[in-house]
Order: sequence, then C-alpha cells, then structure tokens
Amino acid sequence: MELVNILKGIELFHGLSDEQLARLAAISHLETYPADALIFSQGSPGDKMYVIARGEIEVRFKDHQGVAHSAIYLGAGQLFGEMALLDQGERSASVIAVQDGTEVYAISSRDFLALCQADPALGFIMMRNMALDLSFKLRHRNLDPATGL
Amino acid sequence: MIYKVSYVVIGGEYPGSIRNETERPQVGSIVQIGRVKFEVMEVQEIIPPRDDFQFLHATVRPIKPANGH
Repeated sequence: MELVNILKGIELFHGLSDEQLARLAAISHLETYPADALIFSQGSPGDKMYVIARGEIEVRFKDHQGVAHSAIYLGAGQLFGEMALLDQGERSASVIAVQDGTEVYAISSRDFLALCQADPALGFIMMRNMALDLSFKLRHRNLDPATGL
Repeated sequence: MIYKVSYVVIGGEYPGSIRNETERPQVGSIVQIGRVKFEVMEVQEIIPPRDDFQFLHATVRPIKPANGH
C-alpha cells in the first residue's frame, strides 16, 4: 500500500491534505525490527519520533532503584518517542519490538520541525494531534492500575 | 471506522495497551497484549468520536497464567 494511504489511517496525521501527507511521507523512513530488538534505550538522546505501522512495541523503564518495569504495549497506529522530540530531553523509557517484523516509520526531529516551519497549517494540525494522543495516553494511565497511580 | 482502544488489565498485574482496531472489541472477545491473552470484560467510550476515529476503553482479564511477567 502506498505510504500516503497508510498515513491516512493514523490519527496523528488526521486532517492533513494528500499534499501534506506526501510531504510527511518524504521525511518518514521505514524501519523493521525482529522480536525483542531494542529500538531505543532509556537515557539516550532523542532525535526521532516513531509511528507503528505494523506489530507491537513494549515501553519499559527503570525506576530510581534501577528496577525495570513494563509500562505499556503500543500497537498499530500509535506514536512513540514524541516526548524527546517535543522537549529535547533524554528518552524517558526504553522501547522494544515485541512481534517479529514490527514496522515503524521514523521521523527525525530536525526534518519534522523544518516541515512545521515551512507549512504552519501542517504544524498546527500535527501539534494538535500529538496533544490529543498524549491526552489519550494520560487517560489510559489514569485508568490503568499497573501504573501504580 | 478506526477504533483507538485503551486496554486496561484488571488487578494491575500486567501493563495495558493502546492500539488501533478495525473492529470494535466486544465483551467476551480475546485480545493478545504482548505475549499474554486476555478476555474483554467491558467496553466503553471515553471521549467523543472524531470523524473516522472512535476512542474506547476496554477492561480485560488474563485467560491463562502469564509467562515471563
């Protein structure tokens, strides 16, 4: 399937025109991971965000005592790695591919911000959609007893 | 319609999941989160739908003993 059509089914890109989707597709790079592969590690610098096209990933973090916890699984259509892109901090957790052949689209921070500056309407829609996604994740976290809240 | 579903596991022993589904999850249906299978106990809408997207919260429970958690 053409990448623009794949992007249309992802909430992050909802509201963008075909032309805007094509510009995003041009800066999106497909990465494929085997099961148990590390996509990025907690504490590393974050210069990309990712959208899951196929498969599933697990988000793990180490607490102050160094004990590892599994925080959440994310599947098709979900966004991860966006926090470091927004606040330019270190990765707050590690991300591991769960299923063999997990496919993600990686978008570099530099390319994404340049695109937002060149097309502010695209930037507004993307930032709004990212805020909605973070809001949904917060609602999930509030409802999930596994988070310990 | 695309269903963005927040799966939360009863008891808090296992982490939940968020993912897009092409079909609305039903009570009694089976979902796999990570390497564990779960039964859907309850499904509710948590925020209003937006165009082609519907936002759901599903409560699930494990249907067999977990391995590796």
